[in-house]
Amino acid sequence: MSAQGSAGVIHDIGYRRYAGERTSRAGITRALLFSGVLAVFGFGRSGKAKVLPFALLGMTLVPAVIQVGIMSIIGLSSDLLNYSAYNAGSSFLVVLFVAAQAPVLFSRDLRSGVISLYLARPLGATAFALTRWASLVLAILAFVLTPLLVLFIGGLAAGASFWEELPRVAVALAGAVLLAMLVATVASLVASWTLRRGLAIAGSIMVLLVGLGVTAGLQEVASTEGATGLAHWAALLSPFVLVDSVQVSLGDATSQFPAPADSAATGLLLLASALALMLLGLALLVRRYRSRGA
Amino acid sequence: MTVIQTTALTKRYGSAQVPALDDLSIEVDDGVTGLVGANGAGKSTLIKILLGLLAPTSGSASVLGHDIEGSGEQIRRAVGYMPEHDCLPPDMRCIDFVVHMGRMSGLPPAPARERAADVLRHVGLAEERYRLMGGYSTGMKQRAKLAQALVHDPELVMLDEPTNGLDPAARDDMLALVQRIGHDFGIPVLVTSHLLGELERISDHVVVLDGGRLLRSEATRSFLADTGAVLIEVTGEADAQRRMGEALAARGLSCRPHGGLIEIDPLAPALPTEAGDTPEGGRGPDAGALDGEAAAAAHDRLRDLVRDTAADLDLGLVRVQARTGRLEDVFRDEVPA
Repeated sequence: MSAQGSAGVIHDIGYRRYAGERTSRAGITRALLFSGVLAVFGFGRSGKAKVLPFALLGMTLVPAVIQVGIMSIIGLSSDLLNYSAYNAGSSFLVVLFVAAQAPVLFSRDLRSGVISLYLARPLGATAFALTRWASLVLAILAFVLTPLLVLFIGGLAAGASFWEELPRVAVALAGAVLLAMLVATVASLVASWTLRRGLAIAGSIMVLLVGLGVTAGLQEVASTEGATGLAHWAALLSPFVLVDSVQVSLGDATSQFPAPADSAATGLLLLASALALMLLGLALLVRRYRSRGA
Repeated sequence: MTVIQTTALTKRYGSAQVPALDDLSIEVDDGVTGLVGANGAGKSTLIKILLGLLAPTSGSASVLGHDIEGSGEQIRRAVGYMPEHDCLPPDMRCIDFVVHMGRMSGLPPAPARERAADVLRHVGLAEERYRLMGGYSTGMKQRAKLAQALVHDPELVMLDEPTNGLDPAARDDMLALVQRIGHDFGIPVLVTSHLLGELERISDHVVVLDGGRLLRSEATRSFLADTGAVLIEVTGEADAQRRMGEALAARGLSCRPHGGLIEIDPLAPALPTEAGDTPEGGRGPDAGALDGEAAAAAHDRLRDLVRDTAADLDLGLVRVQARTGRLEDVFRDEVPA
């Protein structure tokens, strides 16, 4: 209004208070959840942080694209599309992705000390730990679901029947959710205890990949020796074998491993045990964060 | 307004039961409050208890009217906290980090961005805010840490050793900033330091902790009040200081060398006033109790004596300086053991 006001002078208006709206606890949790998912893929971090997750994502898509390509060019039947075995087949890439990116959510906070800032904010240790875990689950889901969706949509485009494919892909999706939750629990525990990124990566790879090999070997030996019970329960040692076993026994998928559960009851029992182990892991994770706050 | 109140707050760690805080009852008001103590005096423990991150062994406390037991979330919503140690992710840009921290304190997305830019300007990181914090100097890191404590417009900020690791110039900037927060921004500040001289300059009130116990809690002014003692410096031959000291002693003054200066105790006992002056001089609260006029007269008489003595000895009087209290004296006086 005044003459000075129109002269284009920059005024230092000093410190401004904030009287506006503030988000609820749920709003804060949601913000943390999605910023965590984005951080896993390198958003909000340095440019080179995006290279690895997207390179791995690209690599895990290659088989799906090739399968869909072969199907549409040569015109093979849609039986070729084996959704539920896809992530066990590319387990190496899934493990690499999880091992490399879990430290982003877990080791980084604890190592750089940001955790003390988070814990001095409204959420608190328990909600923080569980939200971090949920972020990792969502990120892994994005990683394992994308190739399945490429297969499914590509298959449909190449002439597969929607209603024939749907139950098979649904089993695979459910398996992917279970896989993401189990793998996230293992990786978050490893990453929150080994504060160095390199150690966390090596540790996660050890636990997940070597666990996979050992489990497959153990099942092989146990089933040739006739110890089928042991062979079934060995699946609890590796999320990949377990998800395969549950998919086979409950969802009528074809197995990639020597000794899948042979009855629905065993499958259910395995599933329940795996979920119980997961809850135990989450309790340990929460304890870890609670002790860091003090 | 009282922003922090603790009653008989005690915290013991582990099985050894060594108290980190021992029966601590303090009140913190508006403005800048300094929390002073040596390393391990219990400063950080107190802050963690006030934030609800640690449970006290016994006693109670309230922050901004919220009880620490059961209202941790409300307290953490309203308080900004700057920890002592490193707490910045190296692979994030400062602006993104401060926005994120604002969101974590309950700001909606747009206000978080706006306030982050605002606050970074106030702490002096406007130019560098788009850089990754891994490349920041210690001074810039301290500023970024301060920005994240202010981004949600807290009703109280707790700053744990904000000048840690800073060079003298950066230290002065940081202290000026802390003072601005307390006075210009109107946000009550609780700031800790083990350097007493720093808090002397910026705080309105000082709480001194020692071994988890409250040593003193007073307005900074009363720590720094004129003690009535005088420091003088003389020039002349090589032994000028010694001669001057002996001459002063001969006139009945109690004095002692103080580096290159001579410290002379106040002249209070010789004064024929009705004010009940204490012979050791009024330090801290006693200084205020001195009768103002009598004290001024005593100061004048002391200075006259010093001048006459120097003239008699034919020495040059370089300096006559009132010896004000220093926070260090609190420890010298009250922790002889």
